[in-house]
Amino acid sequence: MGLLDLFQGKFVDPTYPGVHLRGNVITTTLDAVVKWGRRSSIWPMPFGTACCAIEFMAFTASRYDVARFGAEVLRFSPRQADLMFVAGTIVDKEAPILKLIYDQMPEPKWVLSMGVCASSGGFYRSYGVMQGIDEIIPVDVYVPGCPPAPESLIAGIMKIQDLIKTGRQAKQPQRAASLGANGEGQFERRARRGAWASDDAARAAQGLPPRGVLGLKAAAPDAKEESHG
Amino acid sequence: MASATAMAIAPEVLARPAVRLLQEALGERLRAASDFRGDLAITVDRRAWVDAVRLLRDHPELAFEMFLDLCAADYLDVEGRPERFEVVLHLYSVSKKHHLRLKTPVPESDPRLATISHLFKGANWFEREAWDLYGVVFEGHPNLSRLLTHDAFVGHPLRKDYPQGQRHVLKSPKQMLLNVPAGSEHLLVNIGPSHPAMHGTFRVQALLDGETIVDGEAELGYMHRNFEKMAENRTYWQVIPYTDRLNYCSSFMNGHGWALAVEKLLGVPAPPRAEAVRVILSEFSRIMDHIVCIATNVVDLGAITPFFVMFRAREAVYDLLEACCGARLTVSYVRIGGLAQDVPEDFAARCQQALASCREAWQAGHELLTRNIIFCKRFRDVGVLSREDALSWGWAGSCLRGSGVAYDVRKDHPYSGYEQYDFDVPVGTLGDCYDRYLVRMEEISQSLRIVEQALAKLPGGPVITDDKRVALPPKAEVYSNIEALMNHFKLVYEGILPPPGEVYGYTEAANGELGYYIVSDGSKNPWRVKVRPPCYNNYQAFPQMIKGAMLADAVAIIGGLNVIAGELDR
Repeated sequence: MGLLDLFQGKFVDPTYPGVHLRGNVITTTLDAVVKWGRRSSIWPMPFGTACCAIEFMAFTASRYDVARFGAEVLRFSPRQADLMFVAGTIVDKEAPILKLIYDQMPEPKWVLSMGVCASSGGFYRSYGVMQGIDEIIPVDVYVPGCPPAPESLIAGIMKIQDLIKTGRQAKQPQRAASLGANGEGQFERRARRGAWASDDAARAAQGLPPRGVLGLKAAAPDAKEESHG
Repeated sequence: MASATAMAIAPEVLARPAVRLLQEALGERLRAASDFRGDLAITVDRRAWVDAVRLLRDHPELAFEMFLDLCAADYLDVEGRPERFEVVLHLYSVSKKHHLRLKTPVPESDPRLATISHLFKGANWFEREAWDLYGVVFEGHPNLSRLLTHDAFVGHPLRKDYPQGQRHVLKSPKQMLLNVPAGSEHLLVNIGPSHPAMHGTFRVQALLDGETIVDGEAELGYMHRNFEKMAENRTYWQVIPYTDRLNYCSSFMNGHGWALAVEKLLGVPAPPRAEAVRVILSEFSRIMDHIVCIATNVVDLGAITPFFVMFRAREAVYDLLEACCGARLTVSYVRIGGLAQDVPEDFAARCQQALASCREAWQAGHELLTRNIIFCKRFRDVGVLSREDALSWGWAGSCLRGSGVAYDVRKDHPYSGYEQYDFDVPVGTLGDCYDRYLVRMEEISQSLRIVEQALAKLPGGPVITDDKRVALPPKAEVYSNIEALMNHFKLVYEGILPPPGEVYGYTEAANGELGYYIVSDGSKNPWRVKVRPPCYNNYQAFPQMIKGAMLADAVAIIGGLNVIAGELDR
């Protein structure tokens, strides 16, 4: 089977819409061809910081061989990449660099958050660790695991290919609202409950309902759907 | 916690040369000395700090020439501790083969202590870290600035009254690490923290004259995820998963070291079968780690073939680990007092398979690299560090041995039954990148020898201690017998309760001496955990090593130091 067979239409279903003259002529849209090209030749930029980067290496190395998915051309320059793998914990010190590198990537771009640290902070609920990169950059696919096995990462990259195919792309950092909301006791539930209780009391003294309880007027009929980040 | 002041020194401790000599020199200023689980700890007055350290280093009878670790600890509201902070220094003597812990209390009202960074080069970053995390000011320190946290950070996070979850947002990274004089014709190059040659998250700034580096400075903390603070809020076994993520190229060895340190604190040894399995998996982990180090180092120099060829062996070891515990990378296989469960039935066959694969990778690595002319030109006479400097920086492991110091914890202070195995400690002659590479290659081959021997005489029996204060009872008994059920409940609910005291447990991890300094107050959570990360010391020398070198050499040097971000920044 060579290229000649393909030209002869052996791989092309002649009954498929857009296939004419027994496969010798195929008509399609430019958009579909571009998306097909994009998803079959993803150029990933590994933003590897921690343990996940080691599994990422296994994912690119001999056994799992990411080349099968057309994504083996790792670009260490963000300007040449269209998919960013954020592999590892991102701490607050690293955050501006992550943002900078994301901004340097040309559109269209996708982000795959590899592992629980990048997705949600993982089991590092502590003073320096960003609780998920979606506080500052939009994330398209989250791959859970600590670290995810290469198989899950392959599933993740196939999800990205699906997104490219259907033209979907995350545009906003899903949890931007929680960035900076890191006052004392953010993770101490008891302290947080205490803070809420005193806030509720202060509002009650002004005759206001507790925060989060919406009056009928507050719920606008055309309120946009909340993000699911 | 025992009182630090006014403690009578036991006569057998007083007979130890370090205590005797320090008392002769310092007199009243020597406050206390004790021996707990074989760890000699001496407390001195803070006015005598520098004198004591100098005496320990220079006295021929003591010769503590190797800097291990320096850290602070916070004893907020602890009875019998009028001074809130304590600075703890660990030293080792390569010639006399003894350890020492030197401590000094520092009051909260005036948290000042004289620096020892002029005595030990390695103390520089450790003092910065102690200032950063605890707010202890080291007077006379050349550059006392934030190290692990960032510039927008407020407070000292490892203090006991700092809330664990309080974050501070950094908007822009530090621009300049080096001071470039106005009108300078040199070119400033920033490398990292996101750079392929930086293996993760290190940042280096180099000042170039042509292609020669005139000045260099490194920054770290881009992976500081607060292992030590987390450990203070976890029980002893809950710390095990965190240790996996220190040096994640060889996760098993970190857990091994942690388990040994806690077992030392408890005085409960693990059964022989568990120790033998630990040795086998540790040596396989060492092989994996060395493979990562060598393969990624040469990838940076442009050779991708060794990466593909040598990583096959890693997959073989991953398969073995997966069969034992279900995880590939972050294994969490050890438990305090043994292992989580017994190895699979076909363990020996799987080990043989992994051995064959590793041997093949080792052979291929040698054939591809050792006499490769390009590789030799890039590695020989590059990044030379002398024996004395290596000790003063506190280097350890393959890097230290590459500089010609035959210090290997497995040989000098055997643990887990390493004394039963026959293996050699390779050393370099010059201390350049090529020596470090050769030492690593030879260590792979020695590790293969150890695994073969351990496998040949793998003992039977249980894999976890039957001490009811430490190990959970077998599940079958928990379901059939009320005593085991109560025991299980108590242990899960109350945790392991070690006696109050402090130990320094150390093992030979892939990068060198991995130490855990654990302070226990008798409760289920450790009061203070300090990791002595071996690559922290190695990396600290890096800015000095690249001065005068070519820019391309810096890439060759950093790969050979095998700096792992998780271990470096913790």
